[in-house]
Amino acid sequence: MYGNSQFDGSAAFSGGGFMPSQAIPTADPSSPAKSREAQGLLPLTVKQIREVFQASDDKANFLIDGVSVNNVKLVGLLFEKTERVTDVSFVLDDGTGRIDCHRWVQESLDTKEMELLSNGTYIKVHGHLKGFQGVKQLVVYSVRRITDYNEIPNHVAECIYVHCYNTRTRKMQDAPQATGQLPNPAVNTPSKGYQPTSSNHSQFSVQPIVDGMKGIDKIVLNYIEQPSCIGKENGIHRAELAKQLNVPEHKIMEAISSLESEGLIYATVDEFHFKSTVNG
Amino acid sequence: MDTSNPAAFVNAELLRMYVGRRVRAVIQVLRNDGGSIFGKSTDEQELVVKGHPPNPPTTFVEVIGIADSNRSIQAEIWTNFGDNFDVSSYNTICQLANGDFKHLFI
Repeated sequence: MYGNSQFDGSAAFSGGGFMPSQAIPTADPSSPAKSREAQGLLPLTVKQIREVFQASDDKANFLIDGVSVNNVKLVGLLFEKTERVTDVSFVLDDGTGRIDCHRWVQESLDTKEMELLSNGTYIKVHGHLKGFQGVKQLVVYSVRRITDYNEIPNHVAECIYVHCYNTRTRKMQDAPQATGQLPNPAVNTPSKGYQPTSSNHSQFSVQPIVDGMKGIDKIVLNYIEQPSCIGKENGIHRAELAKQLNVPEHKIMEAISSLESEGLIYATVDEFHFKSTVNG
Repeated sequence: MDTSNPAAFVNAELLRMYVGRRVRAVIQVLRNDGGSIFGKSTDEQELVVKGHPPNPPTTFVEVIGIADSNRSIQAEIWTNFGDNFDVSSYNTICQLANGDFKHLFI
């Protein structure tokens, strides 16, 4: 019975496994990369979700600040928890509003995670925003109790940051890519966000960060991003940077470490050679 | 989905703008007499919170309730925020959420 069937790689690796089916916009053949970009996790308030713009009847199509919304992160108080055999429903109140949430419980892990939570606890949820007959609800796949309450102001700060990032990028580039990839505001994973899409010029996607940079960082980055430097397999030595830019080496090292932590450059063969993450 | 009854982030300074409306604030507990808590707001002013505080309250508590006057809150929901809490970031959040980014919250 297996003899004839050919292994269909494209179907097996198309990403169906972990992703909710709605998140694969098969109706969008123009930009295959977009389906992945749209998977970003957007920190939001309930107020923002209420004002979300539903671009079409297509359930998967919400826009906030010009960015399509699929997966969202919210922080708030849990209320009205109702456990059923196959799912748990509850209301999340983040102080800006209340939204209905739904969690399917399939495995004992899901059940355990939900059992720990009682009404009135602060939780952080990751979920998928859905609209059904005009009613928006969240299908959540992670519900964690907040143990460090600094996460609440942190989430608020993230909402503000991401709102600024998305509204500013949109103003800056009127290009079709305006739905720009959202960087994860947690500094340690920016690499995904800053990679340019193939057709796009690298300057565009890097621009928003470059703006907030100190002078030297910017000069160093510009130098490293020159095609001649990108072309070198081992990248560029920091002594050469110091010489070429006429900047003391310790300043270069400061700039390098800050650019490295932003994920804009990386060390290559040893700790002296660096290359831009934006390569051709 | 209901956003008709939001609770604004406030410190003592902002509390006066919301008298009679729903607010949320983090208070550092100074004195607890069981029926109300006397504490310090995130901008270091003294506030009174009435209601039934948690027993025992931690150093920092969050209250959600109605602003009674420009110095007191009638609490509905109390949450212990523990003994370590970054008051200054919360205070900044209060200012941002009532300033340029008010539209994201209330």
